[in-house]
Amino acid sequence: MLQENNVMGDFIKDLLQKGKREDGRKAMDYRSIEIKTNVMPNAEGSAEVNIGHTRVLAGVKVGLGTPMHDKPNEGNLMTAAELLPLASRYYEPGPPTPEAIEVARVIDRGIRAANVIDMEALFVEPEKVWEVFVDIYVLNYHGNLFDAGTLAATAALKSARMPKVEKNGEEFTVIREGALGKLKTKNIVTSCTFGKLFGSVVLDPDGNEESFMDARVTIASDENVVRAMQKGLGGSFSTKELDGLLDVSFEKSRSLRNIITNAAGE
Amino acid sequence: MQKIVVPGEKIADAQLRLDDGLVENNATYSTVIGIYDDERKTLIPLEGLWYPRRDDRVVGVIEEDKLNTYVVNLNAPYKGLIISKFVDTPLAAGDSIEAMIKEVDKTKTAILMRPRRLAGGKVMMVRPSKVPRIIGKNDTMIKQIMDFTKSTIVIGLNGVVWMKGGNVDLATAAILKIEEEAHTSGLTERVREMLQKGAL
Amino acid sequence: MAGGEKPVLIKDGKRLDGRGAEDLREIKIIPDYIKNADGSAYIEWGNNKIIAAVYGPQEALPKHVQDPQRAIIKCRYQMAPFSSLEEHGRTGPNRRAIEISKVTKEVFENAVLIDYFPGSEIDLYVEVLQGDGGTRAAGITVASVAMALSGIPMRDLPYSVSVGKVGESLILDLNKIEDNYSDADMPIAISPKSNDILLLQMDGNLTRDEVRQGIKMAQRAGEKIARMQREALKAPYERIAERYKK
Repeated sequence: MLQENNVMGDFIKDLLQKGKREDGRKAMDYRSIEIKTNVMPNAEGSAEVNIGHTRVLAGVKVGLGTPMHDKPNEGNLMTAAELLPLASRYYEPGPPTPEAIEVARVIDRGIRAANVIDMEALFVEPEKVWEVFVDIYVLNYHGNLFDAGTLAATAALKSARMPKVEKNGEEFTVIREGALGKLKTKNIVTSCTFGKLFGSVVLDPDGNEESFMDARVTIASDENVVRAMQKGLGGSFSTKELDGLLDVSFEKSRSLRNIITNAAGE
Repeated sequence: MQKIVVPGEKIADAQLRLDDGLVENNATYSTVIGIYDDERKTLIPLEGLWYPRRDDRVVGVIEEDKLNTYVVNLNAPYKGLIISKFVDTPLAAGDSIEAMIKEVDKTKTAILMRPRRLAGGKVMMVRPSKVPRIIGKNDTMIKQIMDFTKSTIVIGLNGVVWMKGGNVDLATAAILKIEEEAHTSGLTERVREMLQKGAL
Repeated sequence: MAGGEKPVLIKDGKRLDGRGAEDLREIKIIPDYIKNADGSAYIEWGNNKIIAAVYGPQEALPKHVQDPQRAIIKCRYQMAPFSSLEEHGRTGPNRRAIEISKVTKEVFENAVLIDYFPGSEIDLYVEVLQGDGGTRAAGITVASVAMALSGIPMRDLPYSVSVGKVGESLILDLNKIEDNYSDADMPIAISPKSNDILLLQMDGNLTRDEVRQGIKMAQRAGEKIARMQREALKAPYERIAERYKK
């Protein structure tokens, strides 16, 4: 109901014009971020991320499959996002919406481009590779699913165990319990999402801000370079705005990487 | 003695007439999470829904501007309706209004009267079961909040609160505290302490 | 019933995880787990980890599904694709999930006073984040808590548990491996006020006497489960009230 409400829009607008936000943050502040890994021990890897009231769970499963034709020596990565109807009054049950697919694909691109997973280490034998499934479950929606999802996915991958395979003749048996190593990772990727509403640009827009947002941009990076970007919604950013946001995203990414390293116990 | 009860819990071996009770086999059971007082024979719900009733004050948002009526979202299973010809200045979708319920029709739609547009300020949601406590006996609680914060506050029994001016952040914090501690005693006093500290 | 070599499920009166025949797994319920929902709770029942959330009552849409006499309940039970220790699961509802959603919904059509809300709908979501046998029972048990927290009036707080048979012994609360190799599985949901049966399913083989005994076994365990549900609902209020006691 708050979503369609002019009073709320005007309230947020007035605050922004004074350089303030509803929850007391400055424009380029994150809400508090909490992260827990291995919350779902049946999955090879898992992480729950809370950014303010947004709660996201990522589960990683690893299984055997066949490689893609163009990359016969590498494993596969499959990323999906579910905007569960229990997470918001405005989510409906049913096949993935374009919004869910966008979230999943942007997260997927960051992980792939930054080589978070050592894809070559997933090679088993010709025509047999490991497949890594990352499922992002949105449990409570209050804005900024891109950053929460990227954090959860990266932390789940960094803390995931690696099953073993035994081959008897032509038959493969996957061993998922007992003494196992870890999934081989090479990098950490994080993202920073900015929203533009009433002419102001803010980092980590919350649910109320997102309902009045007319442009959004996500910048995913590792320590050195930008790894994925996505601009969304009908509004626009000036080149100058984007200039500034690139710098902010690199500055913020340092603490995000620390959060992941700490959570993954490294 | 007061005790917290849950749905299905027996509260008396007698047939009691209670809004949130259910009589079965000569006994009365609770249908909600609530506080049962066996001396006063009252059951006050701690979690409960709002049912539109005549003379209820509500706060809502205009959802649709139809030919002769405005449809009002009351954050409840049932809608409100305002007959357009009784409105002096036209309303628009997205506007917040306060109004009184004139009557509730067969489909439980609330026919509203004396709508007033609420401009500026902010809106917050509370659980309807906590609204009586936020208002307080003879309006004591809400008056004390308005006195200390200098905010104008309109509370709808449907659980929607509008406030404007003064220290809105403090007013919000006070309302959230009442919502969380609605079932405790000495609350008016504790809220006053909080407001005194916050108003400094 | 799974193929492969059947493991010894009961040895010297103890089950694989050390429980006796009538022992429940450990149960923990956290109320108000999903901030946006009108009512919600999380349960850990052994290695099961499940969230239930309720939205509503709200206007039933599309309009033609409205029932002018009562509220309709829509229920979706779903297992996360990462919920099992085995392969990555498929997303989207399968036939099993659709059936469980239906029987769960029917439990709450009884327990909820749906005739108070004509024309409206109540949405109940049960998400199994990790499954280890008995997820429908744990799901119904936690859904009861979520429903009560939504403030929707209820006749009673149903609970559910399953009873099974291994060889000649009846056992309570089967975990995944027991479920896979048991000779019978019988999930039951009960309204504790009357001990009436709200859900009953069964497959395998049970004598008439075993069915009767099994139901009694479930009802005995139900006293514990029902107590945990009530405590989960009352505890947050009691904690706050305790803070201000003189």
